[in-house]
Amino acid sequence: MFRSMFVNEAIKTLQKKRTYISFILLFFLVPMIVLAIGNGSGYLEMQIYGQLKDSFIVFGSLTNGYLSSYLIIAILVGQMPFLATIVAAEIVSGEYAKGTFRMYLSRPISRYKVLFSKLIVVIIYTIIMMFFFVFYTLGVSCLFLGVGDLAVFHQGLLFLSDGDVLWRFLLAFAISTGVMLSISCLCFMLSTFFKNSVTPIIITISTVFIGSAISFIPLEIFELINPFLFTGYIDLFLSAFHDPIPWNIIANASVTCVVWSSIFIYISFYHFNRKEILT
Amino acid sequence: MSNILSIDTVSKYYGQLKALDGISFEVPENSIFAILGPNGSGKSTLIRVLAGLITSWEGDIFYKNHSIRKKENYTNNFGFIVEDPSFYEYLSAAMNLRILCRLTNSPFARIEEVLSLVDLSDRKDELVSNYSYGMKQRLGIAQALLHDPKILILDEPNNGLDPVGVNQIADIIYKLSHEGKTICISTHSLNEVDRLCTDVAIMKKGRLVIAKDIRGVSSKKRFFRVETFDAKYVLSKIKSLRGLSVLAAQSNSILVSQSVNSIPLTENKTFNKIKSIKSIQIESDLIEYYYV
Repeated sequence: MFRSMFVNEAIKTLQKKRTYISFILLFFLVPMIVLAIGNGSGYLEMQIYGQLKDSFIVFGSLTNGYLSSYLIIAILVGQMPFLATIVAAEIVSGEYAKGTFRMYLSRPISRYKVLFSKLIVVIIYTIIMMFFFVFYTLGVSCLFLGVGDLAVFHQGLLFLSDGDVLWRFLLAFAISTGVMLSISCLCFMLSTFFKNSVTPIIITISTVFIGSAISFIPLEIFELINPFLFTGYIDLFLSAFHDPIPWNIIANASVTCVVWSSIFIYISFYHFNRKEILT
Repeated sequence: MSNILSIDTVSKYYGQLKALDGISFEVPENSIFAILGPNGSGKSTLIRVLAGLITSWEGDIFYKNHSIRKKENYTNNFGFIVEDPSFYEYLSAAMNLRILCRLTNSPFARIEEVLSLVDLSDRKDELVSNYSYGMKQRLGIAQALLHDPKILILDEPNNGLDPVGVNQIADIIYKLSHEGKTICISTHSLNEVDRLCTDVAIMKKGRLVIAKDIRGVSSKKRFFRVETFDAKYVLSKIKSLRGLSVLAAQSNSILVSQSVNSIPLTENKTFNKIKSIKSIQIESDLIEYYYV
């Protein structure tokens, strides 16, 4: 039965145009940024090297596909919560709004299973979207700009050799997906409360915005609570390119994200199972 | 005829508002049962309770003497249209029905059967968003029939339909009734009850006014509306006459029932001699009396 419900949810999601917005947006946006990086490599390198040029002689160019991917992910990861909410916000609230739950939930089915099938779709969508974001960016960047060593700032200028980069992108993908899943779960939970899909998006994005702002404000109280907020880990993927990699921070972030996601999922199920379908 | 469904003192509150106030009635098997009432009378709330869409309510409902509170998957025996028919409009009619088939493990072959019953076979591959309201209403009946339920619960199935659409739905309901299905129709239309139904429960402000076998009642009794100048005086006279009973009195209007075996009140000389009687009318529509 659960398999049937999952197939139903997958069909419903795949048949909606809004499901593809993120992919279409990234499909066109990423190559444009890559081309811009390729064209402006001289200026970009001047920004990266800065005063180092006075002390070092640099042969060749540091602008390559890896650097481009690193920069694009760093720039766009903050916007990904918007895209992560597209499906999650609508998957339950959309059915309240259209009244389709009147038809769907009057069948001999368990509400837990209905919601679980929707949750699985949201999780899969978020993972696929993040996978597409990271590896499409990597693929397009490498195709246009080639490969080479990756220069990143971490306690000065850190050079990561060509062979040491790919697995770091994989780790960056895992970290950013973990955080994005928490955001999706928050939006999913809100979707079970509201009859329109805009409110869950607004609340989720506001939460991310406030949470991120807290992580940048150097106040003792905020520094104390920030490790316990999943919103403070949106740019944690950068640590995948540090040396050594701060595994303790990543582990802490993982636990934080899992705990928050579990809370959001629990509230979703508790609420939805008791929800009276009056629309 | 045995009862397939028993509603037993069902109550539902929305905060302080009592949407259902201890409703009790029985639905005979293979009947076309009307739940009649004006807007806000609690008809839709009762149907939502039955459909499991409302989770917190009081009382009990029995399907073939088994409490639905204790019986999981009881909705296997029910097909519902709750309020307006609602579909995934971005999908075709056939795709909508496939989604519902998966939920009840009904074979996909059943889709063709139900679509042909509601005369939508030719347009099954069109998006539901292109359907007219009448077509959606018929598709609503098709989805309710997919898993071949014993009882069909239709919430205002003729709402918003033109006369052609109303006739189409009536034909389908008759057809299903002849196939042995029990059909409950919630409606605020007296014509619909008069035309289609065998039994009726009338609701008002969350309360049950009356539940009757329409055919049974009209075959045993006659009803008269007596208009008077002095209701008190006429009431006292009626009570002294044999074979008459007062069903209701409102200002100067009195509703009287009489056994079909006695002389009709309009021809009863003794009764006609009573002073203060303005007129005596045969009340053909008892249901209307209760409803209004």
